[in-house]
Amino acid sequence: MKLKKLMASLNEFLDADRKTQFKEINSIRKVLKELKKKERKLKGELQKLSAKQEEEKDELQIKLDVIYAQRKKGLERVKELKKELQKN
Amino acid sequence: MLKRFTLPLVLLLLGYALWASSDFMGIAAGVALFMFGMLCLEEGFKTFTGGTLETLLRKSTDRLWKSLTFGMLSTTAMQSSSLVSLITVSFVSAEMITLAAGIGIIMGANIGTTTGAWLIAGLGLKVDIAAYAMPGLIFGMVLIMQKSKALKGFGNLLLGFAFLFLGIHYMKEGFDAFQGNFDLSAYALPGFLGLVVYTLIGMLITVIMQSSHASLLIIITALSAGQVNYENALALAIGANLGSTVTIILGAFASNLGGKRLAASHVLFNVLTATVAIAFIGQLAWLVDRGAFLLGIGDQDYLLKLALFHSLFNVLGVCLLAPFVKPLSNLLVTRITYQKKSAEVPQYLYPEALETPETAVNAVRKEVKHLFDNAYGLLAHGVSLKRSVIDSKASLSEEVKYTRKIFPVDVDDYYEEKIKSLHSDIVDFIAKAQAGESTQSASEDLYILRQASRNLVEAVKGMKHLHKNLSRHGLSGNPAIRERYDLIRLQLARLLRELRQLLQANPEDVTALSLDALRVSLEKSSRQLIDDLDEMIRHRRIEARVATSIMNDESYVSDISRNLIDAVHTLLLPKLEDNSDQLTLDRQEIRQLVDDEAKETGVEP
Repeated sequence: MKLKKLMASLNEFLDADRKTQFKEINSIRKVLKELKKKERKLKGELQKLSAKQEEEKDELQIKLDVIYAQRKKGLERVKELKKELQKN
Repeated sequence: MLKRFTLPLVLLLLGYALWASSDFMGIAAGVALFMFGMLCLEEGFKTFTGGTLETLLRKSTDRLWKSLTFGMLSTTAMQSSSLVSLITVSFVSAEMITLAAGIGIIMGANIGTTTGAWLIAGLGLKVDIAAYAMPGLIFGMVLIMQKSKALKGFGNLLLGFAFLFLGIHYMKEGFDAFQGNFDLSAYALPGFLGLVVYTLIGMLITVIMQSSHASLLIIITALSAGQVNYENALALAIGANLGSTVTIILGAFASNLGGKRLAASHVLFNVLTATVAIAFIGQLAWLVDRGAFLLGIGDQDYLLKLALFHSLFNVLGVCLLAPFVKPLSNLLVTRITYQKKSAEVPQYLYPEALETPETAVNAVRKEVKHLFDNAYGLLAHGVSLKRSVIDSKASLSEEVKYTRKIFPVDVDDYYEEKIKSLHSDIVDFIAKAQAGESTQSASEDLYILRQASRNLVEAVKGMKHLHKNLSRHGLSGNPAIRERYDLIRLQLARLLRELRQLLQANPEDVTALSLDALRVSLEKSSRQLIDDLDEMIRHRRIEARVATSIMNDESYVSDISRNLIDAVHTLLLPKLEDNSDQLTLDRQEIRQLVDDEAKETGVEP
């Protein structure tokens, strides 16, 4: 009886962990979606700029590069979390 | 109430006087033309201010004899000691020159102003000076209509001198005619009483006309017309010198500590000179007689003798004070110091806010935002841009490029008044909040908010150092140096605009991730600046000494920027999504990003 109880609580604990991991994946995906939206918007703005507006172009390019790096980081984190989930 | 009626009353009295006496009209028109000429001169000289003038100024005031000569020559050229004094106040306020150099210039200006007396006494009343004014008016007007700023400035100078000459001519005619109708000399007062009364009258005339030059002109013309006697004219000249301090006192009201110290030195100098002149008037008159004899000035030529007296007593003042310039400067620095007037009052830190941990956190967050606004104002002025310009959509690079003046900001004053006191209140309030009942999350929030407040204080401290060099090199005549400082100012101005926009944006549009782009931008411009500097030193476009100043300033800008970004990050926290913070780039990743971009553009990282 004692062992059964112990197993049940262990299962609950692992499930809780899975729950938070799922929650985290979803939350990161949401942020990634937002970032993708922002990336599209910035790309649109970049195309509208004339060749003369070099400074503005540079600024937008930096923002795009940063968003790219942040999305890459986010995707890697999602992959990691998924791997952990599979292991469990 | 009184102020509202002063101008109409003065205009009414003037109108009546002009209607009643055509001679008075001539004198008044002369004074008006003379003063208008001075305005034109001021306008003309303003055109030539900028990088070159500043460089020239610094180099020509690093020794006492140099600053004395500078004050003397510039006042002789501009024919206005008030103008030179006021400009010097602004230079000292902007920390472009030291207080000691400023005192030297003011002393020199007092000697330089005596050339005006020689000019008026020697030339003005003997030669038909109006004849010289005519070509000046014509050429000046032609030049003023040109597009080139330099030509316009030159035109203003010509017009200025022409109007000065014309003013002298009209006043002379007015006094000549006046003499026939009315005899002021009947009111001549002999002895010590006369000396004091006429000194006060001279002072009053100068205060009203805001120009010791114009007063001297009136004194000399009145003396030549026999309206005042020689002894009283000497007292009037002493009074004119004293009166000129009022202009600089008025100018100092609008300036910072440096300006106030300089104004105090001017008052001290003029009062001391006047006291000595009044006390030793007999000896001075004897000295003038001896000097006049040596210079071949006739015994009855009171005009030139007055000019000589004016020069002598000003030179005497300089001789008396010149050995004490350094101690005087030190004394003024220790005596006239910052006085806590209206320390910034916190807007949100009420005792009621301490009731719950949440309200305490909220109040502190709002107060830190208030502190950010104060720091923002100072930093914007620190890079010589108005807040409204940074808040607008105007091109910042254009604004920076066309800056003609580095704002004289007293960072120490501002720091004491608007930053330090508020920071202390925030720290005190947080301590009280933590002493009461608090949750763990509230304690953590308060901890990072205190850090944000500290970041803002550090950012302002960085501006203290940066502003000194900006005042020195910001508008440098060397285009390479000016370009570097323009970049530094632009970098900070852009950051301020971005941070402001982030704080005002809708919560949905904001993520902590937006700050990463600013961090990358900062790293990139910082590297670019250092690379450019290395190249400039290699090609000897700038001296290594200046390059190190720029490097230091770059480091101040990086510190200021980093502190501001960190503070804004904290202020944005409640707006942020829970997990977006996970995706923010760390220092290593930011560097990697800049390296990658440098490789792409073919620049060695």
